[in-house]
Amino acid sequence: MSDVIPLHASPGSQKPCQLHPQSMCPAFGSLRILTRIEGSHPVMATDTGCLYGLTFVTHFYGARKSILAAHLGTSELMSGEVVESTRAAIEVAAREPGCRLIPVVSLCVAETAGLPEEMLPRQVGEAEVVLVRVPAYAIHSHPEAKDVAMAALLRRLGTRDGAREEKTLVVLGEVFPADPLVIDGLLRKMGGAGTISLPGRSIDDLRRAARAGALAPLHPFYKDTMSVFRGWDLPIVGGAPVGASGSYAWLKAVGTLLNLDPALVNQVAEAERDKAQALLNAQPLSGRILVTGYEGTELAYARLLVEAGAEVPYVSTSIGADPLVLPDELWLRSRGTKEIVYRKTLEDDVAALDTYKPDLVLGTTPFCSIAKERGIPALYFTNQLASRPFFLSSGLAATIGFMQQMLTRRAQYEWMQTFFEDDGQEAAHAHHHS
Amino acid sequence: MPTIIRDLPETSSYWAAIWTLCPLPDVHVLCDAPIGCFNLVATAVPDYTDAIPHIANVTPSVITEKEVGGSGTGAAVKRTWENLREAGLLAGKRLIVVSTAESEMIGSDLSDLVTQLEPGTTFFHSESLSHDEWLGRDRVLQWAWEQYGAAGAADLAAEPGLVNIIGPTYGCFNSTADLHELKRLIEGAGGRLNQVFPFESTLAQMPHLARAAVNVVMYKEFGHTLAETLGRPWLHAPIGIRGTIDFVRRLGQLLGTSAQAEAFIRREKQTTLQAVWDLWKGPQSDWFHTTSIGIVATGTYVDGLITYLGEELGMNIAFAVRRPRRPDDLDTETLRDLLHSRPPSFVFGSINEKIYLSEGGKKQTTFLPAAFPGPVVRRSMGTPFMGFHGTVYLVQEIVNQLYETLYNFLPLDSAYARAAAPAAGGPPPATVAVAAPGNLPWAEEARAVLDAALEKLPFLARISASRELQMQVEAEARARGIAEITRQLAAEVLNTHRK
Repeated sequence: MSDVIPLHASPGSQKPCQLHPQSMCPAFGSLRILTRIEGSHPVMATDTGCLYGLTFVTHFYGARKSILAAHLGTSELMSGEVVESTRAAIEVAAREPGCRLIPVVSLCVAETAGLPEEMLPRQVGEAEVVLVRVPAYAIHSHPEAKDVAMAALLRRLGTRDGAREEKTLVVLGEVFPADPLVIDGLLRKMGGAGTISLPGRSIDDLRRAARAGALAPLHPFYKDTMSVFRGWDLPIVGGAPVGASGSYAWLKAVGTLLNLDPALVNQVAEAERDKAQALLNAQPLSGRILVTGYEGTELAYARLLVEAGAEVPYVSTSIGADPLVLPDELWLRSRGTKEIVYRKTLEDDVAALDTYKPDLVLGTTPFCSIAKERGIPALYFTNQLASRPFFLSSGLAATIGFMQQMLTRRAQYEWMQTFFEDDGQEAAHAHHHS
Repeated sequence: MPTIIRDLPETSSYWAAIWTLCPLPDVHVLCDAPIGCFNLVATAVPDYTDAIPHIANVTPSVITEKEVGGSGTGAAVKRTWENLREAGLLAGKRLIVVSTAESEMIGSDLSDLVTQLEPGTTFFHSESLSHDEWLGRDRVLQWAWEQYGAAGAADLAAEPGLVNIIGPTYGCFNSTADLHELKRLIEGAGGRLNQVFPFESTLAQMPHLARAAVNVVMYKEFGHTLAETLGRPWLHAPIGIRGTIDFVRRLGQLLGTSAQAEAFIRREKQTTLQAVWDLWKGPQSDWFHTTSIGIVATGTYVDGLITYLGEELGMNIAFAVRRPRRPDDLDTETLRDLLHSRPPSFVFGSINEKIYLSEGGKKQTTFLPAAFPGPVVRRSMGTPFMGFHGTVYLVQEIVNQLYETLYNFLPLDSAYARAAAPAAGGPPPATVAVAAPGNLPWAEEARAVLDAALEKLPFLARISASRELQMQVEAEARARGIAEITRQLAAEVLNTHRK
């Protein structure tokens, strides 16, 4: 494959042709969130190719949940039957046992044909019907579609009526399940009442979230969702509990916004910082790592790796540049990261591979396969990193331990490369003709 | 009444075009697509259907708001072509521009534009808003022949003994093993392989399809139009003992190599097929008569499995649903209800059927992958459904799963479950059935509830399950201090634990 990729020996001198943008289909971000909610039965409005692909990845990465759709072929799309067909699918979804929520996921062709919200019911039986517009041509990356879905759900379901939960923190962002448990534990130690994790499994958490004391977005792409919370006057904690200094600062900020006892907060935050620092001191990383996923969380991961001692010269992500990412970007640049690419393409990442010759790559599947073809250890960021504990000292320990293990694996990758590059080259490629 | 789709089992003709053209290494496809249609087709799905890291020779025009909002996709396609050329990705390649649902939706017809791109660039209008993947593959194969094959084939004559295989493409379940077996059958019958198209071929070689004396079309779903156009005798690939014998024999007749074909059949009977004969003579085949099978797969697989498992081995075919669905096949709602309420011992299917079994809590039914969608690695040559090897592989899978079912119903000392439960930290376990001395008396209606619950289980599991379920109900009765099993108690326990 390397022979068909443009090589750029001198970085910065020439921008590679941007040919293959890297993101899951943006709509998948919304489906992942929407299918995992108990009692939620999504209805999709799209063409069959799109529906097949999104159902496939949802059944692999989202939930074991049947997916309904309106049949939108040429005749339905051209004769304005999109609404009628979608309404019929909503009726079927409403009959699923325990159905309380019907997200209508409107995709490229339905958005192009037009699907006016006022033509859809707001409620069928017990179920709320919520329109989520995620055409790939307008959203650009799947992390940003998560934001669209969260914001749509909260706008409809979040309610300020009812008892306020002043000492409760809303933790926003899809993370490994152990992370919110640890955050919750520390918050209670600091005198907080607990956490609400979004996106989550419970519809009631979406309603409650509006009455919590503060919002903590752990990921930097929940722009629209944050504006919903701002509309409810909830204060927002910046940053995320990443690494020693990041965790300390974050816990202190949470304590301040929730009006917790400063002495107690300080005690917990210092203990956590010391624990993280001890881990960093005990097992520092050494090696050059490229962080090139498409989850929108790459800068935070790079930050942790740098704090742990790794060299991360290049970071790329699928999301666009945004003030929310700026603190991490500045932090990384001041510590030696040379390039940070937003809305990246495969060609950007390959150029970085040529330039920086890393010891380890955390990337998308196409990019990882190119790294592996060069005998470089590589991991699919989405499967291997975004699905591991990451935050606070416990997440730091898990992440660093894994990275250390991977940095010792070069020999296997080199053996495979040498073996297949030799006579095996043709055999290895015969099936996919790259 | 609008048509509602539940868990769409087959994709569109746009996917078919990419998955049929991109296995050809001298093709580069420019898909007129938003980022999602590119990612799903080229990476996210073939990672898990074909076990490839990504399809490298496809590039999107990346349709955005601007193109949808009125400018059309012409400029984006042209820019993409320029970049491809500049990056050197078109050297030695034929560029083919393919439409998608979205580009068709905004009326983007690029048949004129392609004449301004790389000389020889063509436009394939995939009809993605109305055609499914099967029709799509059939159409694109025929289209490719008309564009790239027919002219060069005009003065090529058929050579005796040469055989083509038409199919597979990306996204054809189990094609590695089936193709491998099919090649073995063709050579066994006395044929020589000419081309496997599109896998193992190039676009430039396409005219040479005309050199084969016989074509073998791997799937009933596509490829027949091209085979008809090629104008030579053609056969479908076989599944089952009798079907495979017929295939080898027919091929031998068409190639004039009948003696070789008959010798191959004799040899296979003494070697490969001995496993089927031994299992038939052994205790394993006795179970076949009470083994029920449900099938949801391509018509190729459905027809083959009905013939082999049903007619040849005597298993009960509980239902069979073809993809693409025929009007008299069960619809998905009915199929789902059936899998929730009364599933067979085995379901050959896609992840959709697997999910329905999970929804219904049907742990006694064995799911065997036999179709896409669903993530599954099928790159070993040793798992064919087709041919003589296929007959052995299929029966071996089924018998091993019957052993597994039996194993799962053998008694296990309950003390381990009780000891493990608190440590796991998970949810509280369902009532652990403890073997208590003596039996509790059962009211007649309660016994009927137990019988009904057993009826729903696969036959093989019933003996062990009957004791297991009885113990569960009695354990609950003892826990509540009830002296006789009532209908209510039996219904409560059995419906909670085993729907």
